[in-house]
Amino acid sequence: MSSHAETKKSPLAGLITYNKDIPVMPLILIGLVLAGIGAVTALMVLIKGHGEMYGVTRQVPWGMLIATYAYFVITSTGLAFIGGLGHAFGFEAYNKISRRIVVLATIVLIAGFTQILMEIGHPIRMMIYMILTPNLKAPILWMGVFYGIELVILAFELILVFKAHPTAKDHKMAAILGFLALLVGTLATSNLGFVFGSLNARPWFHGIYFSTFLVISGITAGACLLMLIHNIVYKFNIPAELTKPMNSLAKLMGGGIGMMMFLYLWKILTSLFNSPDGAYQSLMALISGPLAANFWIGEMGLAIAVPLLLLIVAKGNTKIYGVAGLVYMVGLFFTRFDFVVAGQLPVMRAANEGSNVITDANGLASYSASAGEWGIFMLGIGTALMLYFAAEKFLNLKTPDHH
Amino acid sequence: MSEKKFGIVLDARKCLNCKACTVACKFENVIHTGDDNYRIWVSELPVQGTYPNLSMEFEPSQCQHCENTPCATVCPTSATYKTEEGVVLIDYKKCILCKACMTACPYDARFDSHAHHAIEKCTLCYHRLAEGREPACVETCPTKVRTFGDLNDPNSEVAKLKGRNATYQLKADKKTKPRLFYIK
Repeated sequence: MSSHAETKKSPLAGLITYNKDIPVMPLILIGLVLAGIGAVTALMVLIKGHGEMYGVTRQVPWGMLIATYAYFVITSTGLAFIGGLGHAFGFEAYNKISRRIVVLATIVLIAGFTQILMEIGHPIRMMIYMILTPNLKAPILWMGVFYGIELVILAFELILVFKAHPTAKDHKMAAILGFLALLVGTLATSNLGFVFGSLNARPWFHGIYFSTFLVISGITAGACLLMLIHNIVYKFNIPAELTKPMNSLAKLMGGGIGMMMFLYLWKILTSLFNSPDGAYQSLMALISGPLAANFWIGEMGLAIAVPLLLLIVAKGNTKIYGVAGLVYMVGLFFTRFDFVVAGQLPVMRAANEGSNVITDANGLASYSASAGEWGIFMLGIGTALMLYFAAEKFLNLKTPDHH
Repeated sequence: MSEKKFGIVLDARKCLNCKACTVACKFENVIHTGDDNYRIWVSELPVQGTYPNLSMEFEPSQCQHCENTPCATVCPTSATYKTEEGVVLIDYKKCILCKACMTACPYDARFDSHAHHAIEKCTLCYHRLAEGREPACVETCPTKVRTFGDLNDPNSEVAKLKGRNATYQLKADKKTKPRLFYIK
């Protein structure tokens, strides 16, 4: 049978396979265990209710699950952004890894959806009333719209990148979809910044800072995750043909961290100098208050200093890129956690007798994540690990050279 | 469109901190137990002056029924809405418990209600208004701290009180235009 006939039979020929050289079974199993723990936790949340299982309070209504939602979905849009650079803006290096980009972006987005579905009290009601009585002024409505569209775009991209014999028309469509994924992803993430920026009571989130910071840190996360998973898949011995994309991702990561440092600097200084009410207290919570360990060790250490140092010493060593990517992704968890929590710690009225407001020694509200919230985070991490590495094991994610 | 504009004028100097208003609110609106479950509160403000010339005031408060409603703006399903008379209410069946309104409210006036499986807050006892009754907190107060009524009716007690006295609103800098006015 000729190859042409095979193509006619199945446009996705050669898709399903078994990659015995890719050592990811332990990661699939870890993912299964974590997702299992997460599923049990989710069941307990459904039975006992959010109030029993989550650590959020009247004073800090948004907790770790909003942070983990942001962690996943912003990373996904960062990945889609990188894919868009390849398909629509001529950054050829990224086209060499386009299958992994699209698959990873889709799965990480799904992992993010697990978090928000378990965080929202009435997810089914949400789907109904966001359509029946939408409030077009509400940024959360647009968040749902943009991330929903992003998932659809990624689904179409998935079909295209897995075509065994793409035509010229397919390449054109890939460029259009890549551009749309980049555009909608950036809108979604910057709008997520506005979900917080629109909160009258929380000055820490006001202004352009978070919309910008989330997009930049998300693209950086996309680059980090791609370097990490390529190292895992190739047993920390990335083949020469992928050196160019890895070097390009490392540059993107370095540039991203540089821009994050720039944004941090001016956000901190502007919040320190006029001591704006609310924003100042949030900043102090980060630099010398209850979030200081998270901020200095997690955000500044693991998401900025250590990965940047690793990139500087890497000098083209792709193994070190992988380690830098891992360290950044761990640090980014603290970045997202601090982002969500710090803005909510200043209290809305003085903690006088009768006010029902309780503060710590710093005069701030307190929040710590519950075991239930950690369990739901495991659901997200487990889902991502299990689905992605199963895709590595059973699908052909090596992008064919079609240029 | 109704020409009524409901509001409350509070004379906090009359407040005894007896908390009858908070109890009446809980009974009237069947508020379940729990530290976070309350629609109204009475804060004890810090003691003023130096011994022996001391004074102490209280600040009863609740949802401010803002004209510019930061809670309604961020509600994705339009569950939070304003009636024709300007009372801010929640349609419990539309509330998805995203808690954006709780996070947006500068008065910490909202909570996650286990009874309604939705966000809950002061409704100015809207269910009583049609019967010509005042909100429970207004009705029960022994010293008449709160005066409730139509701010647009120049003959109403609340409008007269507001006209006769200099008043302030809580967190006026937030530009929410509260419908609760405190006599200075």
